[in-house]
Amino acid sequence: MKAIDLVSKTEELISPGISACVGCNVELSLRVVMRVLGPNTILAVPPGCMGGVGVVGWDMKSGAKVPVFFPLLDNPASMLAGIKLHYDRLGEDVNVVAFAGDGATVDAGFQCLSGAAERGDKIIYICYDNEGYMNTGYQRSGSTTKGAWTSTTPVNKEGIGGKMQNKKDFPMIMAMHDIPYMATANPAYVQDMVNKIEKAKQVDNGLAYIHIFNPCITGWGVKSEESIEVARLAVQSNFAPLYEVENGNFKLNMNPRNPKPVKEYLQKIKKFSHLTDEDIEELQADTDKKWNRLVNLASL
Amino acid sequence: MSRVDVLNGNQAAAIGASLARPGVIAAYPITPQTPIVEYLTQFKVDGKIDSAMSEVESELSAMSVLTGASLAGSRTFTATSSQGLALMYEPYFRASTLRLPIVMAIVNREMISPQTLWGGPQDSLTIRDAGWIQIYVEDNQEILDMMIQAYKIAEDKNVLLPINICYDGFYLSHMSERVEIPAQELVDKFLPEYEPEHIKLDPKKPMAVDPLTSGYLLMEYRYRHLAAQQEALKVIEEVDKEYADLIGRSHGGLVEEYRCEDADCVVVTMGSMSGAAKEAVDIKREEGYKIGLLRLRVVRPFPSKRISEVLKGKNCFGVVDRNVSFGWNTGILYQEVNSAMYRHGGDVPSVPFIGGLGGEDVKIEHFLHAIEKIYEGAADGVDCEQTIWLTNER
Repeated sequence: MKAIDLVSKTEELISPGISACVGCNVELSLRVVMRVLGPNTILAVPPGCMGGVGVVGWDMKSGAKVPVFFPLLDNPASMLAGIKLHYDRLGEDVNVVAFAGDGATVDAGFQCLSGAAERGDKIIYICYDNEGYMNTGYQRSGSTTKGAWTSTTPVNKEGIGGKMQNKKDFPMIMAMHDIPYMATANPAYVQDMVNKIEKAKQVDNGLAYIHIFNPCITGWGVKSEESIEVARLAVQSNFAPLYEVENGNFKLNMNPRNPKPVKEYLQKIKKFSHLTDEDIEELQADTDKKWNRLVNLASL
Repeated sequence: MSRVDVLNGNQAAAIGASLARPGVIAAYPITPQTPIVEYLTQFKVDGKIDSAMSEVESELSAMSVLTGASLAGSRTFTATSSQGLALMYEPYFRASTLRLPIVMAIVNREMISPQTLWGGPQDSLTIRDAGWIQIYVEDNQEILDMMIQAYKIAEDKNVLLPINICYDGFYLSHMSERVEIPAQELVDKFLPEYEPEHIKLDPKKPMAVDPLTSGYLLMEYRYRHLAAQQEALKVIEEVDKEYADLIGRSHGGLVEEYRCEDADCVVVTMGSMSGAAKEAVDIKREEGYKIGLLRLRVVRPFPSKRISEVLKGKNCFGVVDRNVSFGWNTGILYQEVNSAMYRHGGDVPSVPFIGGLGGEDVKIEHFLHAIEKIYEGAADGVDCEQTIWLTNER
């Protein structure tokens, strides 16, 4: 499907007026995801930004036009697996989908996601990675970039602080589960995202995982009008590469001929404003190392 | 055709659950529940059941898979013990507050620390206020019968609550007894298919499950949940009668009374220890004591009225707990039974006993001793702050 056809040929399944921050690219991603998946979908939205802005709903109102529910933070994949077992046993084809933040995915919900991936539960699991617990006031997660300010990795007046540890390379961890389909996506590349959701929808022999990189306006200190630009810079600098892994075969979807320095991405974001040149060099070196590893995997 | 076999408790549970034809089963092995998981996977590979099965990576996921499956409309089954139940607590509480009629066997095992794996209902009694129905059984026949009845109670439109059938680890789970297995046709007649109307995740009829809910609505949910628990008191008795009419066995409904009618004192028990206790009652009866036994079956909902009817007017009763209530210096059931008596105006002295923790035997001699103490209480009064511990010599 052409991205341009999304509006004319698909149905908007997320209510207008949900209360996401102005310029939130997670809301945009969710709308794209649901347009491609269509109404024959059961949607799990665990506690997090999209739960908080009303996608599941408040009181007697819902923010979605499909069956939608709050799984627990630590059990989205297992609850979906149970739903899928029910419909599979009846021979009914239904998309059973999680749209979960990185806290629910790489931290609290990792065990059940890993279990579902290993067992081959036929669910679609989409993680919106905004690098921390952005809904509850910007706390760190296992997916927060090294050096970043968060409310639980504060920075003092001398500019010392920030997260001390590396970001968990979660797409790679999911790829190593040997699931039929793993892909990364980015709200600045909607056509690429559409292609990947369509592929995930076709998978019928196991779990499909999509990891969307979503810079957070409010929690990271990004200007609303630069929401998409910052997301794009993460790809152009190889900081958050676009790639997919189909049945064990790695493929780069974007291979920038002249990648931009990571610094260009970092300096648009307030949570990195205290980083020294040395810190930035370290993140550049780390980005290069991971990129080369990915290129090697894609050349196999 | 109904048939007779020699079954251990876990076999009885697995066969009982299978006869109910669950759509989805998910379980994770833990001693002493493990053989249930093995039996069920064997039934599946042998083509004896057509349930979808998930060999999950933890108990948290076992209950989570069932929550999803039940929300989609399946009849479901799982089983666990002690630490597994503790790990499951988050989705456990939620299964009841979502009003999902999930059935789970709990093979009661003591809680650590210290490290232990032997019997005792501390695991499930500790979480008796998480909204589930909890029924405790005495023998393997009762396990099998109650697995089938569990679905009928849980799925009743006036109840719609998840249910635990609890039985003592090793004492029942690994002990073999004669068990009658009802014919599948009889069970099918007894137990209609599960058709959820109150909650269902189905793209043909979209529903938002659990939006963020304000207190005034949450209070309405809790009000109805409490009412459903009270409704279950009636349904449990009805289902017991219906099962007796169709399949030929009753287990007493809310409680079992043993030689209580003309008794002046009563010993209150629960679970597998009741067999030894009944022997002790018989021995004491021959000595001229007018002692009776009250076996608690249903802990949630707590049949307070029914219990007080049995104990009211007696000279004294004692409660033998195979568990502790930290902070009360007694067992849990002692407090529950006394609350029931207080609520229904029965002023009867009562003696707290604790015994059998960590799988220790509670023997006939313990009950003979307990009965003596109950009669001493009747004659001299009771210091109910002083729990009597029933211990074995080492």
